[in-house]
Amino acid sequence: MSHPPILSVNGLVKHYGRTEVLNGVSFDLEPGSIVALVGTNGAGKTTAFKCILGLTDFRGEIDVAGRSVVKHGKEVRGLIGYLPQAPGFGDDDTCFEALRFLADLRRAPHDRIGTLLDRVSLGPQRDKRIRELSGGMRQRLSLAAALLSDPPLLLLDEPTGNLDFQSRRELHDLLGEMRDEGKTVVLSTHFVEHIADLADRVILLKDGKVGLDMATSELTAAAGRRVTVSLNGTAPSELLAALGAIGIGEQRISAAASDLQEAISRAMAASTADEEARG
Amino acid sequence: MNAVWTIAGKEVRDAMRGKWLLLYAIAFAVLALGLSYLGERNLGSVGFENFSRTTASLINLCILLVPLIALSLGAGSIAGEQERGTLSYMLAQPLAPWELLIGKYAGLVLSIGAATIAGFGFAGVFVAFYASAMDVSTYLLLLGLMLALVAVMTGIGMVASVICTSRAQALSAAVLFWFAAVLVFDLLLIGLVSNADLGGRGLLTGLLLNPIEIVRVLAIMHLEPDLQVLGPFGSYVMEEFGRGQATAVLLVALGLWVVVPVSLAAWVFSDRRI
Repeated sequence: MSHPPILSVNGLVKHYGRTEVLNGVSFDLEPGSIVALVGTNGAGKTTAFKCILGLTDFRGEIDVAGRSVVKHGKEVRGLIGYLPQAPGFGDDDTCFEALRFLADLRRAPHDRIGTLLDRVSLGPQRDKRIRELSGGMRQRLSLAAALLSDPPLLLLDEPTGNLDFQSRRELHDLLGEMRDEGKTVVLSTHFVEHIADLADRVILLKDGKVGLDMATSELTAAAGRRVTVSLNGTAPSELLAALGAIGIGEQRISAAASDLQEAISRAMAASTADEEARG
Repeated sequence: MNAVWTIAGKEVRDAMRGKWLLLYAIAFAVLALGLSYLGERNLGSVGFENFSRTTASLINLCILLVPLIALSLGAGSIAGEQERGTLSYMLAQPLAPWELLIGKYAGLVLSIGAATIAGFGFAGVFVAFYASAMDVSTYLLLLGLMLALVAVMTGIGMVASVICTSRAQALSAAVLFWFAAVLVFDLLLIGLVSNADLGGRGLLTGLLLNPIEIVRVLAIMHLEPDLQVLGPFGSYVMEEFGRGQATAVLLVALGLWVVVPVSLAAWVFSDRRI
């Protein structure tokens, strides 16, 4: 790794009562990359984010830009832009008021607010109350809030959850720009296909451990080439008829996962088989 | 401190936007006017009383109503944020947990204090205009004591807010404390005084343990230092220390009742994990 890590997680262990959520998670992230933290519901993605933010106690070490989150929690949180699963705004605030409050807390200049609202395509909603916004709009507002103080590290918890296809494309473009600016983006998701063409690296959490940590390019190479056709809605009868004419009946049409999803499944299966063979 | 004032400002803005602040101020104004107007009916005439009479009537009402409002709002603050799911987002910002708590406390005290001043102030101006005799200093003293009571009770409410796991639980704890301080405490001590010799120290301890009683004694001591109205605790401090020293002792105790609960809440909250 050529640069010192912006985020270093070492031996992270977290229990809720007797339930073990994270057990010895370790990874380093270099600046200027997009990393997908992947796992099923309950895999510990959100818990890992809470540990990185210093919101919960844990065992192990977490440093952001060389500063320990345990010793310098407030300072570290100033280096992180956080987008939670459920945006935490007051319903009665307007978009501008919500961002102005957070800008004051983060000591960010107010003139960034308008720019950021435009950047997440919420310029026209500037004076709209948050209760009037759709889920996707709130998500984008939350992203603007995360960018207020221009932090070097972004933690985005399920950022694509409430977004439609168009908004997702816009988010991808925006995150690509962030990476080009040298920021590190960690996004958690269980929809791997949403970030297949975006993430540089995939870290899979499974059973409280890092099940897989691989560059996306390696994963897609391992998966081989495949063309995936996405149909938005029901396949038209003409298409089914055309497929039938070349010998593909309805029974042979199935929903296909993306290359990356498949690659992860294969890599996981290979890893499990290796472990079993060693065991 | 920048974060504290930012949060306090937001708390005040939210309170002003909500209806409770206005309703609370109107309720106070109506009650103050009503008590003053109806007070003279007992004396055979109807009209606005002077400030001292109004103040005397208001003391009992205030020591019931002000603590209830402040305790409830204090109890709902942090627990409410947690229940709405906004607490972890706030704590993910670059601020220390104690800054969030103190900011919310300051904002609540300013909001409830402003509503109290608005309600009392309106009634005060109205009564001053119609009453023949004026005792503005007494009225202002009561207002000051009510603001101190707001500061104390909001802090105690916030202790409940950080200790309890839900808003309903925190509100229940706050109401329970109010009930104990306003009713049970008095009954308990009356029982003790009549059945056991508490002695000077016992009486003083009894008084200092209840901030509502401190405010009541301070108010009566300066409004109408009648030993019977003061009760056993007030009478004891008056005789033991004299009015000046007794006032100082009670004000110090009231100050501690502000500082200790808020510090306790901040300490507990600093260890809070989401």
